[in-house]
Amino acid sequence: MNMTPERFAQLVETHGSQPARWPEQERHAAEAWQRDNPAAQALCREYAQLEALLDALPTPVLPGLEQRVLRRAASLAGDNLLDQAMDWLLPHGDRLLAWIWRPALVACLPLVCGIYMANFFSFGISGPEVAWEEELALLALNDYAEIAE
Amino acid sequence: MTDDEALMQAIVAGDSRAYEAAIRQHLKSISHFAFRMLGNSKDTEDIAQETFLRLWTHASTWQREKASVSTWLHRIAHNLCIDYLRKDKSSLSSEYEDEHEGSDRPADAPERTQQLAALQQALECLPERQRSAVVLSHYHGFSNKEIATIMDISVDALESILARARRSLKAQLKH
Repeated sequence: MNMTPERFAQLVETHGSQPARWPEQERHAAEAWQRDNPAAQALCREYAQLEALLDALPTPVLPGLEQRVLRRAASLAGDNLLDQAMDWLLPHGDRLLAWIWRPALVACLPLVCGIYMANFFSFGISGPEVAWEEELALLALNDYAEIAE
Repeated sequence: MTDDEALMQAIVAGDSRAYEAAIRQHLKSISHFAFRMLGNSKDTEDIAQETFLRLWTHASTWQREKASVSTWLHRIAHNLCIDYLRKDKSSLSSEYEDEHEGSDRPADAPERTQQLAALQQALECLPERQRSAVVLSHYHGFSNKEIATIMDISVDALESILARARRSLKAQLKH
């Protein structure tokens, strides 16, 4: 490709002053143009100065940012464990089924808790042998007060 | 499978360690980009937090054939910065003078200091997309194709933006 002053300027403005960043297919022609052309050399020097100044601009420092971002990440990951548990409990994919299944599951929780608590605590109900005698008395239509004595 | 693919698959699967590794790997670049776009640490932190929140919530939308994870994250940050700048430009304040590394280094010569201040001001005065293109090209070393992907424009359009930005910076420094 033939190099022109306009194309050379465009290359430098677009890719910078370093030949290594110029497109490979035009690099050879552009380097030859630069070698033979004082105006091209001057243009490259100007852009090289600009790049050196850009390099010299201070790098931002953001103290504690990484810790704060990681702290938030940890809380997000915590939420995800709950989500994973829910995903395990709920059927995947079918949103409609999930919408029915989730309230049903929540509604069943008090029932399960009630069964467990009733099984664990007697709440003053006597043993089965006494209950059996009481039941026989009722069936025989006996005076319940006599048995109780 | 590439490193990027393995990382993103792990994040999609809910692996918090992979997520933390991604943050450690990309946070510096993302936060420096946001700082150079916005010029203050508070907004930079908001952008960084939001970018990595989206990494966690939108990891499944990443497509390896379209962009590397770094390019994808910079695209998110770029879009957030542009939204931020357009939403409330008036509230932005520049802390660039205060927030930089190497404050204990020997002072630059006065002329050099003036040049740097002029360049900083020229950068801040560039239109958003020109500033983004220069920052991504010069400081982050992305290729023009990658920057075009980040900015969601064609390579030709990007090259036109870059040329205008560099010409403008050079002209400002001459004054």
